[in-house]
Amino acid sequence: MTDSGTKERRFRIQRYDPEKGGTVRVDEFVVPTRRGMTVLDGLLYIKENLDSTLAFRTSCRMAICGSCGVLVNDYPHLACHTQIEEFRSDVISVKPLPNLPVIKDLVVDLTPMFEKHKAIMPYIVRGDVEEMESPTREFGQTPEELSEYLQFAYCMKCGICIAACPTSASDVLFLGPQALAQCYRYCADSRDEGHRERLRLVDNDHGAWRCHLAAACSEACPKGLDPALAIQLLKRHLALEALGLSKKQRPAAVISPPTETKPKLPWPEFTVRVKR
Amino acid sequence: MRATRFHLLHIVTAVLIAVFLGIHMVRQHLDALLYDSEDPSSWASMIDRASSGLWAALYIALLAVALYHALYGLRGIILEVVPSPRANRIVTWSLIVVGLAAFGWGTYVPVHLLGS
Repeated sequence: MTDSGTKERRFRIQRYDPEKGGTVRVDEFVVPTRRGMTVLDGLLYIKENLDSTLAFRTSCRMAICGSCGVLVNDYPHLACHTQIEEFRSDVISVKPLPNLPVIKDLVVDLTPMFEKHKAIMPYIVRGDVEEMESPTREFGQTPEELSEYLQFAYCMKCGICIAACPTSASDVLFLGPQALAQCYRYCADSRDEGHRERLRLVDNDHGAWRCHLAAACSEACPKGLDPALAIQLLKRHLALEALGLSKKQRPAAVISPPTETKPKLPWPEFTVRVKR
Repeated sequence: MRATRFHLLHIVTAVLIAVFLGIHMVRQHLDALLYDSEDPSSWASMIDRASSGLWAALYIALLAVALYHALYGLRGIILEVVPSPRANRIVTWSLIVVGLAAFGWGTYVPVHLLGS
């Protein structure tokens, strides 16, 4: 520790560049760290001062966007949400998230995650198509109904749960904790009518039943969500549906908003020009 | 809901294995405590049980549930390591054939004794 309160730490970063032979190597950088500094701060220091070719993904720097998921000292973390001091080590190893293909250095391809996410219909499905297409009022929902799925709605799709999941490591077709938790999130939504269709999508050899409940996803989630719980609740939905015991509940009705809303302002004339 | 039904059956067979195996263990190993009889592991005693309809049914049921539970679990492990639709077909049909063969082989003695 120097007089200025900084301490030099070694960052061992896994490098991979498909345009330069595609071999994996580890580069070491000495970074002056201080109290409160995050792993992302360290990576930004390296990029700005030591090696501008280092590739990593970042955006919000406050654990909202989920861009900077990396493997720090062999455990998946958000780089912006992880302070260097919490490791109590002079060596910080940074690698790309496992279970996802690497594009370059610490940047992984999140396409497989988003494809699986899209596959489970992550949106409200209702019979009244007209109301969905051009809504006239709001879908009513009580606070209790909201609490059924609220925590799972905070998922920011960072891919850390998939990186931590042992099943995702062995089964590439496994839907993964992110998609399955989101499947439960929409099935548990009282405004939704598409749960039967959605349950059919996860009722296969690589769906909900492939989860072994290691709960590594829940332990690693930087937002504190519990995807393992969502998958267990999803299994309950599946079992009740298979046994014909699922309750038929009517989807939330359309109600007037609790307060008066002002009509939308008309477009300013200078942005919309109607040709006659 | 096919995968769910098969998985629920996997769970039910686990419970049935515990029940059937429990009966078998009591009969085989707690005989001195529970009742007086000849050595349950002797050849004569085994043939005697296999000739009785109730015991034969219990052992056939134990074999069926144990085979389903074991082979379905094995299928899950293999498909997790080799995940592909082709592997799914090959593994599923191979295990069905193995399961049926093992069931036929295992039930031969009690069925033969019951018929004689």
